[in-house]
Amino acid sequence: MYQSFIGLEIHVQLQTKTKVFCDCPVTFGDEPNTRVCPVCMGYPGVLPALNGEAITLGYLLARALNCRLSPVSSFDRKNYFYPDLPKNYQITQYYQPLGRDGFIDLEFRKKKKRVRIHQVHLEEDAGKMIHAGDMSLLDYNRAGTPLLEIVTEPDLEIGEEAELLLQELRRIVQYLQVSDGNMEEGSLRCDANVSVNHRGEGLGQKVEIKNLNSSRFVRKALTWEIARHQEILDRGGTVTQETRLWNENRDQTESMRSKERAHDYRYFPEPDLPPFRADQPFLEGLEERLVELPAARRARFREQWGFSASQVDFLCDQKSTADFFEAVVAAGGAPDQALFWLAGDVRKLLKRSGGDLLTSPLTPQRLAELLDLLARGRIHGKIAKQTLEQVFLEDRDPSAIIHERGWKQLSSREELLPVLERVLEENPLPVEELRQGATRPLGFLMGKVMKATGGRAEPAAARTLLQELIEAPRRVSSVQVLSFGGAIAGTRREDGMIEPGDLVSLAELFQADPELPDSILFEELRLGRFLSEEITPADWATLLVRIAGTLDQGGVQGIVIAHGTDTLAYTASLVHWFFADTPVPIVLTAGEGPPGEGSRGESGENLRRAVLCAASGSAGIHVVYGDTDFLPLNLKFERVDSGGGNSFRTWNPEELLRSGSSLAPVARGVEQEELTRCLEEVLGQTCIVRVYPGMRGDILVTLMEAGIRCFVLEIFDRGTASLREGPFSLRNALIQGRERGVLFFCTSQQEGVVDFSGYVTAHALWREGAVPMGRLTTESAFTRLVTAQVEVLCEGEARSRDAWRERVLALMED
Amino acid sequence: MNNKTKALPRERYRSFLEHQDRAIGSFLEIGAPGVWDCAPGNGSASGDDPPRGECSGENGPHLTDLPLAVKDNIAVEGYHLTCGSPMLQSLKAPYTATAVEKLVEAGALVVGKTNMDEFGMGSSTSNTPLGTTVNPWDHSRVAGGSSGGSAAAVAHQLVPVALGSDTGGSVRQPAAFCGVYGLKPTYGAVSRFGLTAYASSLETIGILGSRLDELEAVFRVIRGEDARDQTSRAWPRGDDEGEGSRDDAPPGTIGVLQGELGLSPGMEKSYRATQEALTDLGYRLEPVTLTTLDYTVPAYYTIAAAEASANLARYNGIRYGHRPVFAENPGELMSSARSEALGEEVKLRILLGTFVLRSGFQDQFYLRAQKIRTLIAGELDRVYQGVQALLMPVFPCQAFLRDQEEGMDSFRQKVADRFTCTANLAGLPALAFPAGVQDGLPAGMQLMGPAFSEERLCRVARDLSAVFPLQFPGTSRSFSEWRQGSDAARGGS
Ligand SMILES: [Zn+2]
Repeated sequence: MYQSFIGLEIHVQLQTKTKVFCDCPVTFGDEPNTRVCPVCMGYPGVLPALNGEAITLGYLLARALNCRLSPVSSFDRKNYFYPDLPKNYQITQYYQPLGRDGFIDLEFRKKKKRVRIHQVHLEEDAGKMIHAGDMSLLDYNRAGTPLLEIVTEPDLEIGEEAELLLQELRRIVQYLQVSDGNMEEGSLRCDANVSVNHRGEGLGQKVEIKNLNSSRFVRKALTWEIARHQEILDRGGTVTQETRLWNENRDQTESMRSKERAHDYRYFPEPDLPPFRADQPFLEGLEERLVELPAARRARFREQWGFSASQVDFLCDQKSTADFFEAVVAAGGAPDQALFWLAGDVRKLLKRSGGDLLTSPLTPQRLAELLDLLARGRIHGKIAKQTLEQVFLEDRDPSAIIHERGWKQLSSREELLPVLERVLEENPLPVEELRQGATRPLGFLMGKVMKATGGRAEPAAARTLLQELIEAPRRVSSVQVLSFGGAIAGTRREDGMIEPGDLVSLAELFQADPELPDSILFEELRLGRFLSEEITPADWATLLVRIAGTLDQGGVQGIVIAHGTDTLAYTASLVHWFFADTPVPIVLTAGEGPPGEGSRGESGENLRRAVLCAASGSAGIHVVYGDTDFLPLNLKFERVDSGGGNSFRTWNPEELLRSGSSLAPVARGVEQEELTRCLEEVLGQTCIVRVYPGMRGDILVTLMEAGIRCFVLEIFDRGTASLREGPFSLRNALIQGRERGVLFFCTSQQEGVVDFSGYVTAHALWREGAVPMGRLTTESAFTRLVTAQVEVLCEGEARSRDAWRERVLALMED
Repeated sequence: MNNKTKALPRERYRSFLEHQDRAIGSFLEIGAPGVWDCAPGNGSASGDDPPRGECSGENGPHLTDLPLAVKDNIAVEGYHLTCGSPMLQSLKAPYTATAVEKLVEAGALVVGKTNMDEFGMGSSTSNTPLGTTVNPWDHSRVAGGSSGGSAAAVAHQLVPVALGSDTGGSVRQPAAFCGVYGLKPTYGAVSRFGLTAYASSLETIGILGSRLDELEAVFRVIRGEDARDQTSRAWPRGDDEGEGSRDDAPPGTIGVLQGELGLSPGMEKSYRATQEALTDLGYRLEPVTLTTLDYTVPAYYTIAAAEASANLARYNGIRYGHRPVFAENPGELMSSARSEALGEEVKLRILLGTFVLRSGFQDQFYLRAQKIRTLIAGELDRVYQGVQALLMPVFPCQAFLRDQEEGMDSFRQKVADRFTCTANLAGLPALAFPAGVQDGLPAGMQLMGPAFSEERLCRVARDLSAVFPLQFPGTSRSFSEWRQGSDAARGGS
């Protein structure tokens, strides 16, 4: 077993107006050599004059990184000849940096880690040398730009952690407005030191890697380099201490050809700059400029609003988003709705317009106003989406747009009456059926009303008025029942086998039910005739789009989904990941046979309870079976007692919730065809593998070659799986997976919480990139993985393999 | 203000300079009159920003038409900035030094740039291939250095005042060799912005002059804090007047350096004469020994070379300066440029500096030198608790011969810096003044004082000027003398 040690040297370009020692503006992308003056060009006789803002920002970041701040910090000269360094020495801080002994806290794949910061110091940047053919060109615009160098201790172990540290640092500098943190433009640069050794033997031979201009390259280069070291050590060799460059075209590190001499930088104190004294007023000024940092804000958001890790990651990634969100909430917007809209439609529109939240026409007040109109039923979801689009186009308040376009819902009697009367007149037959007690024509008539009003009729009001006009039996609650295959909707043939069919008429089923209140109105929708093991991606798409449409339209009391038993655990958790934020109960139920057979788990009885739950239950996703109201996650259909009865049981029920936020705000807005296509694609690249003793690791490789990009590995709760050398080792498969960008998520074969902190093999799994899914069962983890991938596909932003991988991983975090 | 009647006839003055300088070669460049006062503010490069330095406005433009020569290591826009080096022979200054900017604002005219040892490294103004400067008193002798051009120009009456720079005695030693006043101000009293760095922690812009009141007037203009030089310091308030007016100031106590000073007979004589003069003037003399004196030169050269090795690293032929005709790659370009265009003395000091800064050897050399420096400053601190100023020679001998064989070798020249470099190591002011003429050559002494005691040093020197009036060499002519002479010659022909 090897141990790897990674330390980073990070350069942060400070966001000052002028350079660190002269008055030249700090800009990016100007004509070469136009942002220079005698000072930054190193003309004879010039002197550096320390930019007060640069040192302030430096101290501010050192403070945010929990450093011990130096009361006096001083500058030194680092001597080396290089054409892009105008003075042939760099002014830096060697003896007295502005901060020491800090730390940054990370959490990667459920493992908390404190990475120590060795020191933070201020220095000047060099120019740029570009080689063009047989010429070398120099641009000194960047020379003298203030840089903050952050040196970490070798506390990181794997490339992913280094990547995460850079991302967190990027957030911190952006929150503090110390830097724009853009790695592509070079505002954040990183060199990495890595060494690998046998566990317990301390640091190995150190290799420095340069040319890492994105956090992704940092990860890839480190992963590649650690594997290289391990290979060398496996063969009994020794690693050469050297500097290597990351070659992004070949995805590997390469030894720097030019033999770099061991530099003697001959540091000595900079005589042209007096030491900087961080006195009390200066330090107090720093405190005033500190802001709530990303980690603290994420924790607060989780605490305050009960959001998940990926949700707070989304909200807190950019300070502007977090600020915007809080402003919406302060203006009266419901937190979960604000999140839902920001993560969904707002993000989509921003992407389309290419702008950002700060400069967009959408203000927190406008979004809050829109959410308020929606919450008060003045508009419904579809109109809200249209209105939002218009806000972006017209830069006006939602209420003004709605008023002008006449998009307000028709809810008053005066507004609805003429429309309804016309619909009734034109459809005498359904009206008659309704009067006879049938329920189905109500949906039909409502559809007509909606069509006649351009979707503006407020459903609840229209429905009530409709019933009043028809003088149908008075019903208050409206429940939509979706028939989604399974035995519950099947029929038993004479040979005893069940064949798929349509759900029996509930009205008939419950006709004589004394317990069932009269006031429940059914709206039945048949989504398919199949047994639950036959569900296809298209079936799931139909169901999801239907639920999304109903929730968007509003006006129902609840939704019931009649489903087969065997795969209910999958559909229930899938519905949960999509619709955990539902304002009305979504109740799944099942039965082992057609209704009315009277057995245990009797379909009719389950349906009845489900309808009751939907009509009066609490918001969230429910699974009603027998007399139990289960949570939608971690369901296992089991033989529970010796009596032969089957039922559901919930694994690891602690901390599971029936409601929360949607994981797929974008995906639930797409059309059915599109969702079907996405689900087909995702299900085609995702698979569950139950790891067993004697399983050959190359089975996974074969699956990868067949196009699998995401695995749910069902192991044991402590994460043990064979990683020993040989054909049965999973390690090779994991390493290959990493190289291909394949993702591995681990669940347990037992009822247990998958946690990688206890066992060495588990730690090795973690190091090789597997993600423990904690308390989630395979089914719940799998549907989460499907949902996450569908969402990423629908977001349409992740074009590269890496970006895709990152986004999926983010959505899998909790 | 009507200065028309007094206005300097610039063209004539330029003819005077060109004509009179032929004999001594003190200037590297004499400016066209148009650039004499247009350097700061009017140039395109420095046009956008008002000068950040402390404004000299309090004194008004009282230096109107004062001709001023500036050592060629101080930047003046419109002029070259060669620093006496082939490396920078073609370089035009892209900006103007703060001190010069203030002087021009006060009305002074920068008439030209004066010769110097390459990058200030030398005591003779012979360490440069760009020009030959001789001592106006004896053309076979050196003018001293490195500000030899400025000293010679003042001694030859070409200009009443000139700016030089003093890293280890580079203002005072040529002043002494040429028989003029030479002020090395307190470190930080005058902005170094625009002074080409040789040894940043030691050097300062200094003033050479034939009359103390002009020298002081110039000092008052250029001193003060400058935002562009963060090692500069504001002039302490009230320090000029604090000691009362000159007439009723009681004669103070002057320390006199004792010990094995190794002076030439002429200097020995002059040193004694100065002490007698001071006693006659009513000063009380106190013998002072400096235990650190023997360590000053090694410490000085260690620090100076170390800083020089970094300060001169910027001259690589890429952005400006000498560039070789051909180079295979940027690295070769830099090394060719430097090996071709830097002089031997410069290379010696850069290598020495690189040597003393090597990692693992800093304790032995550079850090030890810094400790000695601290000890010297501490010892002088104690000395100034008992005396108001310290009298000592500037250099062990008078101007030496230019001839390499008969003159002074470069090692002995360095050893001879022991009296002057003390002030640089401690950052204290010192004023070299003429103390008579011995054997046809001026002999100079210096007064060193605590920080910001420039005015006091000038007062003592003014007292001494009654005994040792400033003398000009017989061949020199003032502008009015020359003008009369040339007018008469013209009239006669
Ligand atoms: Zn600049």
